[in-house]
This record gives sequence, C-alpha cells and structure tokens, in this order.
Amino acid sequence: MFRYVLSLGLRLTLVCLVAAIGLGLTYSAVESRIVEMELEERGKAGKEVLAPLDAKPQEIDEGELAALQEKFPELVSVFEGIDENGNLVGYAIVVKGKGYSFFTMAVGVDMEGKVSGIEVVQHEETPGLGGSVVENSEFLYQFIDGGPEDFVLGEGIDAKTGATMTSRGLTDGVNYTLEIWRDITLKGGQ
Amino acid sequence: MGDRKSATGELTNGLVRSNPLLVLMVGLCSALAVSTKVENCIFMGVAVIFVLVCSNVIISLIRRFIPDQVRIPIFIVIIASFVTIVDLTLKGYFKPVYDRLGVWIPLIVVNCIILARAEGYASQNRVRYAAMDGIGIGLGYTAVILIMAVFRELMGTGQIVLFEKTIINFGTSSMPVIFIMFPGAFITFALLAAALQWYQDRRKPEEGGGS
Repeated sequence: MFRYVLSLGLRLTLVCLVAAIGLGLTYSAVESRIVEMELEERGKAGKEVLAPLDAKPQEIDEGELAALQEKFPELVSVFEGIDENGNLVGYAIVVKGKGYSFFTMAVGVDMEGKVSGIEVVQHEETPGLGGSVVENSEFLYQFIDGGPEDFVLGEGIDAKTGATMTSRGLTDGVNYTLEIWRDITLKGGQ
Repeated sequence: MGDRKSATGELTNGLVRSNPLLVLMVGLCSALAVSTKVENCIFMGVAVIFVLVCSNVIISLIRRFIPDQVRIPIFIVIIASFVTIVDLTLKGYFKPVYDRLGVWIPLIVVNCIILARAEGYASQNRVRYAAMDGIGIGLGYTAVILIMAVFRELMGTGQIVLFEKTIINFGTSSMPVIFIMFPGAFITFALLAAALQWYQDRRKPEEGGGS
C-alpha cells in the first residue's frame, strides 16, 4: 500500500518537476522582453501626453515611485516632462482605472495642474461602446487644459451615450492623476 | 468516440462531426467572449491549437507512465504548462493582443475542450492520432470563433479591423451594437449551431440527431 502511494506521488512529482523546469526556461527566455515591452508601452504614452508641452518623458526613480504607489495603489508610473532646456515642465502620470472593465491611462499634467494630454494605453472596454470612447479622442479632448480642480461628469464633461461607466471611469482616472499631481508638487518637488 | 483509425479522419472529425463548439458544445465561454474581434480570434485560435496539440502529444507519449488515479492532476499540470508558455510568449511579443485577450488566455487551462481531449482521446491513442486530433479539434474551434467574430464585428461595428488596417467598412453609424455584446454572441452561436445541424441532417437523413 505504502509503495503504491509512493509510486503515485513520485510520478506526479516527476511530471511537475519537468513542467517546472520547462516553464523556468521559457520565463528566463522572455523575461527581459516582457519588461522591455511594458516600459516601451508606458514610455510611448508618456511621450504623447507630454508632447503638447514640448517635453520628453523621463521616468522617476524607483524609490520615489514606490513611495507614491504606497499612497496611490493604482499608480503605474510617473514620468517627469523635461523640455529642451532641461527644465521640468510637467508630469506624465500613468494609472490604472475601472470603467466597465479595467484600463490603463496616461495623463500629462503641466506645472499649473492643467491637463496637456490623455492617452488610454490599454483597455478591455466593450468594442463599439466603451471601446469607441477610449479610442476616439472626442471624449478625452474635453479634459485638455482643464484642472487642477477635479472634473465633474455632467458639469463640463459630457458622458457618452451608452458608455456611462466608461465615461465615469475615465473622469475618475483623470481626477486620480490630478490628486497624484497635487501630492507630487506640494512636496516642493525638484 | 468511434474507432476509425485514419489520421486524416481524425483531422476532419474535429472540424465537423465532433466540432467542439457546435456539436460537443464544450469550451463555449471563451468562444462567446473572444469572438468580438476577428484579430483576437486569430491569436486565440493559434493559442488553443498550440496547447491542444502539445498537450495531446505529450499525454499520448507518456500515457503508459501516467497512473490512472492521478491522471487528472497530471493532465492539468501539462496543460497549464503549455498555457503558461503561450501566455508568456504573447506578453513578450504581442503585448496589445495579450492585453485584449486578457484573462481568456490563462483560462485555456480550464477550457473543457482540452481536458476532454486529453482524457477522452490522447490518453488512449497513439501519438500520431493524438496530434491529428489536436489539430482537427483546434481548427474546428478556431473556424467557429472566426466565423462568429466576422459576423459579430461586422454587424456590431460596421467594419473589420485587422492588424490596424480596416479590411471591410460598411460605414460605422447605426449598426446593431447588440451583436458585439453577449446577447449577440448567443444569437450568433445558436444560428451557427442550427446551420451545422441542418447541414448534417440533410446529408445523412438516416442518422438524424446524431448519437
């Protein structure tokens, strides 16, 4: 009886072991590529939302980001917008949000707290409904040059028919980034 | 399952007679969820075919080594490993698709089609047939979600966008959005299942409603 159970256990263990080795090898082969892709995606969005300020994105250092993320769990990344003279002219803040489903958005905010650009990096909204809201910038244009006061849906920001959840989620997302912006700039910053 | 033993027979079996979605009606959740966009379906189909063929082959290879009592855990470990490989590869090389397919790639692990083929076919047949069965069933799945997606994307959004190029455009206004949403998935699926049944009944009237 004991030997029988042992044999079952050993065979199962062996299969798991081989599987684990295979997965380990695969992971080590694609790991650097995954990190690269994620950084590239965020960096691209950061560049686009800072473009109206003629600034280039530069990711803030990890310690600073981790400290911010403790306060703002939905924060993905922060880029400083540096213009050609090397001055800090704004921030690109990448956050996760929830509309009908989850999305990631990048918002560019200048030093006065005005929104310079919005870009939805990734989303799972319903195609044709929420999906057309995040892909079509008509809705997102409403935020440009607004701030630093919070946006209110229905007052200045019109929700899209059939995509109330997405509209609300995006508005909350922008307000969230403004909150982060306030936190960064109030500290005096660099 | 019948006892026919021809590799091409196994291949076509999955496409029509044992089509996983329209006839066996397993693995429906992912099919209904993913078929909103043709592009998603191409990747989902490739992922499912890959996992199905690999797990079928491996399970068939080690079928005499697998003790009956722990066969299900072993099947799941093997399937989950291949799914994870697909997941990591998509994440590294096809990030936008990975983001759009979201949870449906990891969920291939619990897709009934794959476990059912492991349990019902691969663990009892030779490698050659198991591989063909994997390809056949995988193609059957892919064909159906592709047809569904073409119909749904076209009806729901008025256009088909493939790799950022618009292939067909009907003009995007006033399309019945319901086809993109879940009720549309059920309607589309029911129409297809009925069509296949009708086709089979017409070809072999003596067999009627199947087994």
